[in-house]
Amino acid sequence: MIKLEFHDPSGALDKAIPHAPRLESFAGKKVGMLSNGQWQAYRMLPMLKTMLEADFPGIEVISEDNFPQGNAFIGNEDVAQQVKDSGVDAVIIGNAA
Amino acid sequence: MGIPTVTLTRNEFVGVVKNAVSGIGLAPDTAMVTFPTANFLPGADLAALAARKNEFYDALTKWTSGKVKSGAGNMLCVEGETYEDALGRANEMFIANSWGDGLPLWPATPERVNWILRGAAQPRAHVLGKFPPRGAIVTIEACAVALAMAGGRPEYLPVLIAAVEAFLDPNATGELLQATSGSPFPVVIVNGPIAKQIKLNSGFGLIGPDPQHPAGASIGRALRLMQQNLGGALPGTGTMAVFGHMRYTNAVFAEDEEGLPAGWEPHSVDRHGFKRGANCVSLFYASGAANIIRRGAKKETLEEDVVQGLHRVAGYMRVPDVHYLHGYTEGTPGFVVISKVVAADLATMGYTKQSIREFLYEHSKVPLDEMRKAGCMAWMEIAATAAARDSAQQDPWPIAEKAANIGLIVAGGGHSSHALWLQAYTYGVIGREIKLPAGFNDLVGEADSANAAATNS
Repeated sequence: MIKLEFHDPSGALDKAIPHAPRLESFAGKKVGMLSNGQWQAYRMLPMLKTMLEADFPGIEVISEDNFPQGNAFIGNEDVAQQVKDSGVDAVIIGNAA
Repeated sequence: MGIPTVTLTRNEFVGVVKNAVSGIGLAPDTAMVTFPTANFLPGADLAALAARKNEFYDALTKWTSGKVKSGAGNMLCVEGETYEDALGRANEMFIANSWGDGLPLWPATPERVNWILRGAAQPRAHVLGKFPPRGAIVTIEACAVALAMAGGRPEYLPVLIAAVEAFLDPNATGELLQATSGSPFPVVIVNGPIAKQIKLNSGFGLIGPDPQHPAGASIGRALRLMQQNLGGALPGTGTMAVFGHMRYTNAVFAEDEEGLPAGWEPHSVDRHGFKRGANCVSLFYASGAANIIRRGAKKETLEEDVVQGLHRVAGYMRVPDVHYLHGYTEGTPGFVVISKVVAADLATMGYTKQSIREFLYEHSKVPLDEMRKAGCMAWMEIAATAAARDSAQQDPWPIAEKAANIGLIVAGGGHSSHALWLQAYTYGVIGREIKLPAGFNDLVGEADSANAAATNS
């Protein structure tokens, strides 16, 4: 038998850092929206905002208009910091990509 | 961010989103609520969004990750009755695990990888970064593994390493361009004497394939394998490239420096400021390659040939292309490639690289009404830079912030009939010096000897 040994081409990954813990509830929480400004985000994210506010009285939803929009922005560190500085407890990111 | 999130995305983007979170160091999993593409189109009925609102609520209050990341890279093993049998099994493994490109590959055996690593100026464990978006660790050894699989040789490795360094530059925005539906592919332009030493093509058929100049295919194929295997750009799950072009070998070629007219600087000098004669790469992403018949017909003067040819090139550039906005400030709208024959004619008429760029810049401006009709104004509003957003005030609309952004290189077969327009979809044009190991000339000599021996056999 011929044995052929070779490198796994998918490489190595760093050990993962854990995902952020989830909220216990929405009571008194602030939820932010981040938008890439595409794929009907202008309809879908406000609809989610309306539903959250109706289903969880006392929740505060910061609309996507309070943060930079566009794929070029929503993944960068500056925007992440703006989101943190806004004091939101959770974020909904849209849209479609 | 340390803040719980949920992503609203399309069904087929699950892999893209998982790659993205893996690339930032999280387990390759995240809270998502997905819908078919039809739900995101203009006029779509949003009833499904309302019906599934609890999934968003649960994603922020109950979701847990079921994934863990794998650790270090492994060695793999196959067995066969004969070497050919084992080679076949290895290739079956590449396909079964989505590590290949559909064409036969060389398994990266320790012997072959060690041979390739003779071309490295850096230690094999040297880390270049993480390959976006998936985030696998990129070492010199990982480059050698990909080059071994792609059929490369040691003397190609310095170019691949420099190209990977350019790819990993944050200004190259690889995490977006790997995943996008827009099908961009890396173009690597090489300047310096290494191009001839390793037989990179700068002439006829430079995009390839060309068995007389095999280096570009191997280097580009290795880069593509790294994009897929380390970066996670697997079609339909990690890269949403709707069509995908040039994705077997990307495009790796050299500028025809000997064909530059007197006084014209190589691309590496006038775009990146490298010293003339330095070995270096320049990387950008293209979304297409259009051949332009630039030569005239019937009675024509040299001046008519030159000017009409430039107008025809400008005509290809003068389109309401949203891709232009991505590289508006620091990138490029694209690269024009002209042969040494055309360059000589242009130089005879007094043109320089910069005056050609200025001509093309002026004549490629798009009437703003065309931009409006094509729906480009909204894209300008969400463009990455202030210059791109403010460009909406200009009529006609310039396709880049400045003429210098237009790429112009001399390459291709010595023929006057055609020009090539490599339309960009890129945020930057990244230059990197190519670092050579001690003994590089010996590697080139060995390659030449092997080639000569094989030719005679």
